[in-house]
Amino acid sequence: MSLLTAAAHVLGLSPNTFVVTVGMAAVGMAAGVVGCFSVLRRRALVGDAAAHATLPGVAIAFAITGSRGLPVLLLGAALSAVASLGVLVLLRRFTRTREDAATAIVIGVSFGVGVALISGLVARGVPGSGGLERFLLGSTASLSTADATMLVVVSLVAMALVAAFTKEATLVSFDPGFAAAAGWPVWWIDFALVALTAVMVVVGLPAAGAVLVTALVVIPPVAARQWTDRVGVMLVLAGLFGLAASLLGVALSATIPGLATGPMVVLAASAIFTVSLLLAPKRGLLAIAMRARQPLSLPLERAQP
Amino acid sequence: MSAPPLLELHDVTVAYHGRPVLWHVDLAVQSPCLFGIIGPNGAGKSTLIKAALGIVPLVEGWVHFWGKPLDQVRGRVGYVPQRESVDWDFPVRAIDVVLMGTYHRLGWLRRVGRAEREFAQACLDRVGMADFATRQIGRLSGGQQQRVFLARALAQQAEIYFLDEPLAGVDAQSQQQIFRVLSELRDEGKLVLIVHHDLRTAASWFDRVALVDMRLVAAGPTADVLSRENLARTYSGHHEVLDELGRAVEAGRRTP
Amino acid sequence: MMGIDGAVAFLTGWGGMHGWAMATAAVVSAAAAVVGSLLVVRRMSLIGDAISHAVLPGIVVGVLLGGRPGGPLATAGAVVAALVTVWLAELLRSKGRLSEDAAAGVVFTTLFAAGVALLSAAASRVDADPGCVLYGMLELVPFDVVELAGVEIPRAFLTGVVVLVSLLVALWSTWRWQVATAFDTDAAAVVGIPARAMTVGLLCATAVVTVASFEAVGAVIVVAMLVVPAATAELLATTLVGLMLMATGLAVTAAGGGYLVAWQLETNAAGMIAAVLGVGYGVAILVSREGILARVSSMLRLRWRVVCEDVLAAAWRAEETGQAVPGTSRRGVALVAAWWLERRGRLLPGLVLSPQGRLEAEMVVRSHRLWETWLGRHVGLPLDHLHPPAEWIEHYLGAEMRQRLEQEMATLADPHGSAIPPER
Repeated sequence: MSLLTAAAHVLGLSPNTFVVTVGMAAVGMAAGVVGCFSVLRRRALVGDAAAHATLPGVAIAFAITGSRGLPVLLLGAALSAVASLGVLVLLRRFTRTREDAATAIVIGVSFGVGVALISGLVARGVPGSGGLERFLLGSTASLSTADATMLVVVSLVAMALVAAFTKEATLVSFDPGFAAAAGWPVWWIDFALVALTAVMVVVGLPAAGAVLVTALVVIPPVAARQWTDRVGVMLVLAGLFGLAASLLGVALSATIPGLATGPMVVLAASAIFTVSLLLAPKRGLLAIAMRARQPLSLPLERAQP
Repeated sequence: MSAPPLLELHDVTVAYHGRPVLWHVDLAVQSPCLFGIIGPNGAGKSTLIKAALGIVPLVEGWVHFWGKPLDQVRGRVGYVPQRESVDWDFPVRAIDVVLMGTYHRLGWLRRVGRAEREFAQACLDRVGMADFATRQIGRLSGGQQQRVFLARALAQQAEIYFLDEPLAGVDAQSQQQIFRVLSELRDEGKLVLIVHHDLRTAASWFDRVALVDMRLVAAGPTADVLSRENLARTYSGHHEVLDELGRAVEAGRRTP
Repeated sequence: MMGIDGAVAFLTGWGGMHGWAMATAAVVSAAAAVVGSLLVVRRMSLIGDAISHAVLPGIVVGVLLGGRPGGPLATAGAVVAALVTVWLAELLRSKGRLSEDAAAGVVFTTLFAAGVALLSAAASRVDADPGCVLYGMLELVPFDVVELAGVEIPRAFLTGVVVLVSLLVALWSTWRWQVATAFDTDAAAVVGIPARAMTVGLLCATAVVTVASFEAVGAVIVVAMLVVPAATAELLATTLVGLMLMATGLAVTAAGGGYLVAWQLETNAAGMIAAVLGVGYGVAILVSREGILARVSSMLRLRWRVVCEDVLAAAWRAEETGQAVPGTSRRGVALVAAWWLERRGRLLPGLVLSPQGRLEAEMVVRSHRLWETWLGRHVGLPLDHLHPPAEWIEHYLGAEMRQRLEQEMATLADPHGSAIPPER
């Protein structure tokens, strides 16, 4: 711990602020890494459904245990996020409702239920229930050192899992038919990837809140995709972008009073994305515009239909 | 006792969402050859090989390779899916795709090493794509993409290959190249099954064919099977009965 | 029980507070349901989701320029923001080569974040807090009133009515175009229908409805009001008009019901309305015509019919060969089926067929043998593979199909040599 105190001292931060900042950085990084596969698999908004569905879980976990502790609340959030993914699977399997409508239903209804539960708790004057609202838009203010440590651990485990199974995840995301024929358990790998996204959405709640946390798993990967044609590089870049966005957002919201963390983190990520969209060497809009002026340079640059 | 057939489908029936689309296929292939699976659109040709590979579940029947179920011989069976089935904007290069063919032998967690890389490069070379190894796959032409898929199948080092429409929408040069590689595989003693929709080229390319139209119409040496009578039976709509019945089974009621 | 007097007292009490709040929720929900119906049938639910989030910066800018949250300036800002959202998402998709969901995900989170940040930055000047933005303040709606013909009417209610009426007028005057565009956008454009204008109009309507419901239910819960009633009605209705009427009815009912439940439980009304909508959708999943209950019951009925027909056919074959009915028809479910068939007059005691039962059994056997013949001829199955498929399919052949197969086969016996009973 003394090393930590020393590091905090060097940066001129209190030890707690330092740990919280490290926690946010780890969460941003891991969310970016894990999000790569949900973007590549075209499931960017599944994370959004899971994110909105965390609210009822937070409220119920609080109502049952009466605990304000982050681990308990996030456990509840994770359970209801995974339940919402199950609902999505069931709706697709057993109803005529199309996938886009089903996603929107889960987003709207679960958020409504969450709001109703939280405001019901607040109206009854349950001590500590007011603090639940910080899960809507994100706030790092009340994070303890232990909380932040937990976020770091979960993030590290998530990144380690992705690093260990990059080969399998890439195969299943690129060509599920081939993977199934070669005997890989496609359904389970897919499910693990989606569940990992749900977990990152949950640990991202303190950073960005339920409404915006999906940005953490979507924007950094999309920005990273601009710069590279290799999954490995994309994973690293998305992690770095997520880390940068998270740090930048937390710092901004700390300096400007009254600003929630979530919007700032998202805006920081968007800024990184905008730069990537415009300036990336091959796929950037600027590069495309330049190329359009010299049409004969690269005849095979465009994908054939 | 004679050796079991390389591939045997016994009474295979396949359904999507409760509706049977392929009925009671009985098919055995005894020896290595170029085997064409031919039939009209929507006849269930792709479904047939997906069923054989265990990608879609069987309602009835079983499939054996060398007399054994697929799970015991996965490593000896290779597959080239339809080109449209994947996202070509995916961030992988040609060599990365070919390397996927080695994943089964590597198993969980083990990473691709130098031996695999060199082998994948050799596979690309064999389909005439060595110079494109580091090109992102979306920046290849359709024929080149198909050759990369073929190289990936080669990297599987299988003994039985299934290819789903490998020659559809492919330029003439790629067609020749692909056909040459497939013939070489046959000459090396491998069984190559190819879903194909073009009757004109089928007669000259395949040693044996199966005519499929929601059921197996006929199978055997190309010259015998591609008779006027068989073709009429394949393309003249006996499947209307199967179609109507399929809908009744899906809905759980009787036909009119 | 509240009773009518109690209900009137509830609605008019406290200066009509509950009545006005419920009426506002109902009007706003109805408008959202009408727009949402088109969004859902056109598979644009996620665009609706994106727009409802992304209008926030437009509203905030409108308010900063001196408008009210539900006023014309805010509405204009919201419409602009909605169009920017769609334009940006389309740009990212075509030029940035993003998939549709990723493009929507990037754009709406960014715009929503910008809105919240603007709102926080201008907190001193704007009377709205970020929480309100997310779930509205339906309970406070009745306190912001305008006087109209001597009656104090909540502003949000008036806005809602104006939006709903103009929406209906616009819809009525372009109905045929809307239907054609919803059915097939490209075909509509080819025959000269302004499909593009219809789409842009729908996007603008989504923005307007979001603004109108903003004070009451906020930017997130409006997603539920747009999509859930329409998705529920889609499971129940068969025509677009029916879908819209039903969605509107559901929306209004849920608005009233949700408000009452929320009042009883002392919680947020908008959230509870969304929850009630969700419950309605869940019920529809269960009880609709192709719902889960209908499917389970039809599956059970099919299983039962198969068991009964198998018992009858076994008794018929026993008669044909002069042997005893096999033991499989004397065990388990078959035993129950035999008892039931006896009660229905198809069987006599001892698994003997009644005349009616014989007739039905004959049709099952006829189906069985015809199908064996067809399979032998057209699928080329060997003799010993024919029986199991026919055991399965015999339960699905109707009279017309049997006649057709018989004419085509032109034979009186199946491949095993047994006679095919004639149709009766």
